[in-house]
Amino acid sequence: MTDIHYENWEPVIGLEVHVQLNTKSKMFSRSLNQFGDEPNTNIDMVNTGQPGTLPILNKQAVKYAIQFGLAVNAEVARTSSFDRKSYFYPDNPRNFQITQFFNPIIRNGTVTCDVDGHTKHVKIVEAHLEDDTGMLKHFSSFAGVDYNRAGTPLLEVVSAPSMHSPKDASAFAMALKAIMQYLGVAECNMDQGGLRMDANISVRPKGDKTLRPKVEIKNMNSFHNMEMAIEAEIRRQIQAYTLNPNEDHAKAIQPGTYRFDLSTRKTVMMRLKEDALDYRYFPEPDLVPITLQEEEIEALKASLPELPHQRYLRYISDLELPADSASVLINDKYTSDFFEEALPIAKNATSLCNWLISEFLGRFKEKGITLKASNLKSENIGKLVRMIEEKVITGRIAKQVADDMLAHPEKNPEEIVKANPNYQPVSDTGVIEPIVDQILKDNPQSIADYKAGRTKAMAFLVGQVMKETKGKASPSVVNDLILKKISS
Amino acid sequence: MKTAIEIRQNFVDGKISAVEIVTQYLERIKKYDSELNAFLAVFNERALEKAKALDAKREKGEPLGKLAGVPIAIKDNILIEGQLCTCASKMLENYKAPYSATVARLLEEEDAILIGKTNMDEFAMGGSGTHSAFGPTKNPYDLTCSPGGSSSGSAAAVSADLCPIALGSDTGGSIRQPAALTGIVGFKPTYGRVSRYGLVAFGSSLDQIGPFTHSVKDVALMMEVLGKHCEHDSTSLNTTPIRYLEEIESSLEGKRIGVPWHFLEELNGEVKDNFEESIEKLKSLGAEVIDVDLDILKYGVSIYYILSTAEASTNLARFDGIRYGYRTKKAENLESTYRLSRSKGFGWEVKNRILLGTSVLSSSSYEELFAKAQKVRTLLIHKMREAFGKCDCIAIPTAPSTAFALDGMKDPLEEYLQDLYTIGANMAGLPAISVPSGLSAKGKPFGIQFMGPQTHDLEVMRFAYAFESKCPPLSPPQFGAGND
Repeated sequence: MTDIHYENWEPVIGLEVHVQLNTKSKMFSRSLNQFGDEPNTNIDMVNTGQPGTLPILNKQAVKYAIQFGLAVNAEVARTSSFDRKSYFYPDNPRNFQITQFFNPIIRNGTVTCDVDGHTKHVKIVEAHLEDDTGMLKHFSSFAGVDYNRAGTPLLEVVSAPSMHSPKDASAFAMALKAIMQYLGVAECNMDQGGLRMDANISVRPKGDKTLRPKVEIKNMNSFHNMEMAIEAEIRRQIQAYTLNPNEDHAKAIQPGTYRFDLSTRKTVMMRLKEDALDYRYFPEPDLVPITLQEEEIEALKASLPELPHQRYLRYISDLELPADSASVLINDKYTSDFFEEALPIAKNATSLCNWLISEFLGRFKEKGITLKASNLKSENIGKLVRMIEEKVITGRIAKQVADDMLAHPEKNPEEIVKANPNYQPVSDTGVIEPIVDQILKDNPQSIADYKAGRTKAMAFLVGQVMKETKGKASPSVVNDLILKKISS
Repeated sequence: MKTAIEIRQNFVDGKISAVEIVTQYLERIKKYDSELNAFLAVFNERALEKAKALDAKREKGEPLGKLAGVPIAIKDNILIEGQLCTCASKMLENYKAPYSATVARLLEEEDAILIGKTNMDEFAMGGSGTHSAFGPTKNPYDLTCSPGGSSSGSAAAVSADLCPIALGSDTGGSIRQPAALTGIVGFKPTYGRVSRYGLVAFGSSLDQIGPFTHSVKDVALMMEVLGKHCEHDSTSLNTTPIRYLEEIESSLEGKRIGVPWHFLEELNGEVKDNFEESIEKLKSLGAEVIDVDLDILKYGVSIYYILSTAEASTNLARFDGIRYGYRTKKAENLESTYRLSRSKGFGWEVKNRILLGTSVLSSSSYEELFAKAQKVRTLLIHKMREAFGKCDCIAIPTAPSTAFALDGMKDPLEEYLQDLYTIGANMAGLPAISVPSGLSAKGKPFGIQFMGPQTHDLEVMRFAYAFESKCPPLSPPQFGAGND
């Protein structure tokens, strides 16, 4: 059995990411661009491909594409145009898709990804506008088509093959999602297909410059699954080359389109490249080219919002947050906006960041929900952190309050504390003093240590009292009492 | 035989009711169309209803539209809500239009009476009318002959005076050539002048809707109604309204007409004689005739059959039996649903062109065929522009021959060459009009064509109008109004 040295190989990964733009109407018609309605209700003559209908360009979608281009420092084409891409499938009402093949609206940009406290730059080759297909629904004896999705505007972003690990790839896709969300051009609801990824993967021995045959894994809508899929495909390719060292590369790894089977954790071939469809691209005669004026582009540039990477830098420099925490916050717009809203109330950025990321996001992960789905209000988390900061409650009690807040997201932490006698800190020295006396009596060594200048001993003593009072004693009262007694 | 302008005037003046007008034409259709096969549908009830409503409107003294009381037939590739729109194809035999084309709406808004749908070459592909799934249309001047195509039914209907006006569509000559062959006026506007919304697309970058009429002035009237910007068509022009009717009269004195004599070298016989006579008439009207180089037009047919079929192959892809149209009952899976439905639903000529178009777009021929044809098209546009730098208008015969026998076109290439003189205007998006220019010894009509620069629709109408005044009216065909 040949040993397989995965570490000697370099994966090369490129992504094509399809993002549904949240325009009011569809890419080429006036019907509503809306998810989740009764099948075939948000449709019109154009979406169902009636004879004689013509596409009309959605200007909002063009604006969104330009905003994206500007956000990633790309070239915005002063003239771009649409093309027909032909293939037969029932979800495709004209049997051709309208896309931008020859002259895309956006070229040559850079996406900045901040993940785990590291910043990486990924080149994008182009981004182009196109329309989405409908959806097939299979029933026991027949299949139906729902054209509600047909005509949804898509921005397809194509990266350079410049990523080298599954993590790189998901970092890029995550950064892309954040940029779209910050711009407000897309919701990117992953489970509704709002952001879908195709990954092109090849591997080569480290140091090699030439690319080996690539495999495309289609249509993934979860970052985690994509990482697994890419990982599985990288391993498959390395194994194939290692076990067949003398084989022609294109035979060892047959280029083509694959999908990821989650149950077997393996990539499964769908179509070989040589069987690939000839899409017969040619310029769409029913649409005039998009021509943009300098002033339009400048105006959009001037009105760009704060972008994820800018916010990341601000969190590190102004708020002095650790880089890894800052990257967790900024990569999800909802979380980051939540943080921004809670900040003026909480007053302490570091503490708020810790509570949001470690305590709350940790709890959501256990429950399998998101911050948004928790229905928690930023104001209430801000208040909770402020109560800790102002020593109204102890950290230990705060954790219990946090649990209660999760169970009753509508409740205000101040009310929760007020309503529960167990959460109110004991400041009555008459109650605390005997406990302090007992702890001091039991720990003469700590007193000696403290007197010898070891301040840690003080924290130990306070901690012992807190433990004894089940966290309810007011830390400031305990502190004062101990100091008074030791010094006297 | 009455023009639309005369019919409207008589109606407005109270000399005749709309019901009487419609009844007369419906009777003529009933009487003669079994021979001609110009109509695929006749709107007996709908037309009478509309006529009654118009009579009531006139009775009440309400303002009447520009086409009040004028019966108009519509080529069967233009949608009228609630009516079948077959494109003379088995594929759409039962397709009921779910909306109306912009042109149909505009006509009705001006009180026109839509009287029926006309026969055509299937999906507008052909120059003879013989490629209809519902039988060929015959030429009123000679029932053994073709009326030309693809707007065969519209041309024959107006020629035989089964209606004063009909709409056609022109992708490579499909209005002008049949107009010439049936002795009437046919106009293809500047590309974008008339909305294509609701016209079943053939070659999207070439298609234009236009009218068949008995007189050039009726063309002017129709363009006042049809020549409007449409928000459903991205290629629709948005210009200030033009008062065609008011401004159509204009002297040709001092005007320059370009004739591409070298390109016309192969013209011979009666067609040549007739054309030369027409040129003399234009000279007598004061126009200066100059020679222009348009040799590039000899490539027109070749690039037309690359570009139009490429566009058509994708435009017709939607007819797959899934959402509407003919669907085979024999299919066992998706693939065979497509294959059998399309094989049975489309006629031979349509399949021929879909295959051709699919082939020229394939990645292996794209550069050599499609991209090259696009370049030649661009060159052709430049050459046309150059020619218009020297003249106001180009005159050229409409068709290389008079009406040919219904079974006369054995070779598709021969039929394709029928468009030799008309394709240039489609390639360059120019306005072009065909006007009758006499009858042959056998009594078949000739036509002359005037082409102008883009958006000069009014200018070409002026040339046609002046020429018409110099040309005695043709004796009507055997079904003509004079024979009643």
